[in-house]
Amino acid sequence: MTRFILADLRRLWAGSLVIVLLIAFATALGVAVTLQERALRLGSARAADKFDLVIGAPGSETQLLLSAVFLQPSPLPLMPGDVLSKLSADPRVSWAAPVGFGDSFSGYPIVGTSSVLAGTLSALTEGQVFSRAGEAVIGAAVKLPLGYEVKPTHGLAELGGETHTELAYRITGRMAPTGTSWDRAILVPIQSVWSLHGMGAHEHGEEEHAQDGAHQGEHAEGAAPGHDDGDDHEHAHIDPAAPLDEAWTAASPGLPAILVKPKTIADAYKLRQEYRGNGTLAVFPGEVLTNLYATLGDAKRVLSAVAIGAQVLVAAAVLLVTVIHIGQRRRQIGALRAFGAPQTAVLLIVWLELFLLVAVGILLGFAIGYGAARILSGLFSGESGVLLPVGFAREDLASALAITLFAAGLALVPALLAYRQSPAAALRA
Amino acid sequence: MLSLDLKNISVSYPGLSAPVLDIPSLSIAAGSRVAVTGASGSGKSTLINIVTGLERVRTGSIRWDKTDIVPLSERSRDRWRGTHVGLVMQDFHLFPGLSALDNILLPARLSRAVQSGDRDRAMMLLNAVGLSRAEQKIETMSRGEMQRVAIARALLRKPGVLVADEPTASLDSDSGDAVARLLIDLSVSNDSTLIVVSHDPRLTGRLDRCITLVAGRVSSDVLHREKAA
Ligand SMILES: Nc1ncnc2c1ncn2[C@@H]1O[C@H](COP(=O)(O)OP(=O)(O)O)[C@@H](O)[C@H]1O
Ligand SMILES: [Mg+2]
Repeated sequence: MTRFILADLRRLWAGSLVIVLLIAFATALGVAVTLQERALRLGSARAADKFDLVIGAPGSETQLLLSAVFLQPSPLPLMPGDVLSKLSADPRVSWAAPVGFGDSFSGYPIVGTSSVLAGTLSALTEGQVFSRAGEAVIGAAVKLPLGYEVKPTHGLAELGGETHTELAYRITGRMAPTGTSWDRAILVPIQSVWSLHGMGAHEHGEEEHAQDGAHQGEHAEGAAPGHDDGDDHEHAHIDPAAPLDEAWTAASPGLPAILVKPKTIADAYKLRQEYRGNGTLAVFPGEVLTNLYATLGDAKRVLSAVAIGAQVLVAAAVLLVTVIHIGQRRRQIGALRAFGAPQTAVLLIVWLELFLLVAVGILLGFAIGYGAARILSGLFSGESGVLLPVGFAREDLASALAITLFAAGLALVPALLAYRQSPAAALRA
Repeated sequence: MLSLDLKNISVSYPGLSAPVLDIPSLSIAAGSRVAVTGASGSGKSTLINIVTGLERVRTGSIRWDKTDIVPLSERSRDRWRGTHVGLVMQDFHLFPGLSALDNILLPARLSRAVQSGDRDRAMMLLNAVGLSRAEQKIETMSRGEMQRVAIARALLRKPGVLVADEPTASLDSDSGDAVARLLIDLSVSNDSTLIVVSHDPRLTGRLDRCITLVAGRVSSDVLHREKAA
């Protein structure tokens, strides 16, 4: 029996291959869409999980999240400098860390923050947290050695940003991987970012810089006020050995975002409540993501529809191939019956052959879909630093089983059809 | 050895005015060797299909020894045919991709009816039909060789009757000769009744009895006294 089936499949290898590939393709499409969507959801949720509460100036919640958590360059409005000092003094706050953007180095975003965040985000695998103005800590995915001198480029180098000459950061530490965008970040003291952009805490109080973190866009064009003012603090040499100054005061410069670690969940809700309005916007990253998924959900539905459409087409193709296949095999089935093969044997042969093809196709499809999702996730991780965990869940097993059962049922149809005519008629075919 | 007793068999197809087969009564004795001849379209294959249960009739009776196959279900007829009938068709119906030996054993294997001695018997039959390469793939054989494999396959399960429908029609004359001789010799040595549809006088002339069909009816039924070698 097995020998017969194998001989048969070998004889019809071209057609068999087509069936297998069609099924594999359809399965792969569905699997890739499902896996990729899940990976994106899990990965971004995990990446956002590190941050309990994000506070920024009123504006788009999504943009705040994308900038502060996923470090995507986008112009954020600034909130007053006193927010940070108020938060730092708040007894419900475990720690509050400023974040300031604006510079990059060979594609890695340089993020100004406090030593607290650099120390808490993830343990250091090498070296130590920055303790001077001219030091930096790098994320796990930054391919630079310790001791390397980072010369910050204003904005993104590919946008033609100029290189700051006033200060170079020396890398003193490397963090363990976090699976977040921060793995690609170069963390530096926020005070240095302020100084580089002429916003030293001491030099201005009310001066309204429509500024920082915000300004890649404008500055890339070289038209930013902060830079071209010719202010005497501009372009002056900044002492890299200057000690850290993390005593935030009301006079501190404005900030695009502050990451806050509340002491308890209740504190988190209270803080969020308190800092919505009055010139600030507090968000739970998880909540913003959920809203974002709702929007993404539509995209997923479209993708799924495409995948399902493809699968229906393939199912139709497979059905057609099956019908042709069975037509070609009428004689063979007639002969099997004529020479006394029992119905069970004939059914089993026809069914097994088709089912084998379908099963191999499904298996192959899962492998291809998984591979595709892995590759896509890898590309995405390389770009964003956010680790997308591609993996099968229990429900995938269920859906694989469902498809297989469906295929098993489908494969039975031609086997049963084979008994609709007498062997004599089948032999004449 | 099986005997056949046909009663009131009539086969019609929609759209045809006359039945393609109409036989009120026909008997074939166990162990006899019978030729069925007639013009093309006279109903010879229909007769073979009916008596072997390949085609179903609703009325009349087809009695092989004690078994009437008319009332049997499709599955029982398939099973009955597998155990009692050795079939040889004009175009072989062998299975490509399998060796000669596997082809001979396939029907028995699929029926799970393989007995311990069957492999030896298959080798013996291969020998008897004059083939020595048991492992040769069927698609690499000549047509004459294929028909000889088909004869060996038909005889594996010691059928009570060996039925052949134009077994030599698609063969050259030498191969046809060999096949004709094999059918007769092996049906004798295997104690099978033999029914052969053929126009081939080398074959029909050597059989005990010759039934001629015209338009679905038996027009002549001749007994040859002297038995063929
Ligand atoms: N399924 C069918 N439908 C209609 N006519 C058929 C069918 N099978 C056979 N016939 C007709 O029955 C007649 C006898 O056919 P057959 O027994 O094959 O003749 P032959 O003696 O050549 O073997 C032919 O005229 C053929 O056209
Ligand atoms: Mg015929």
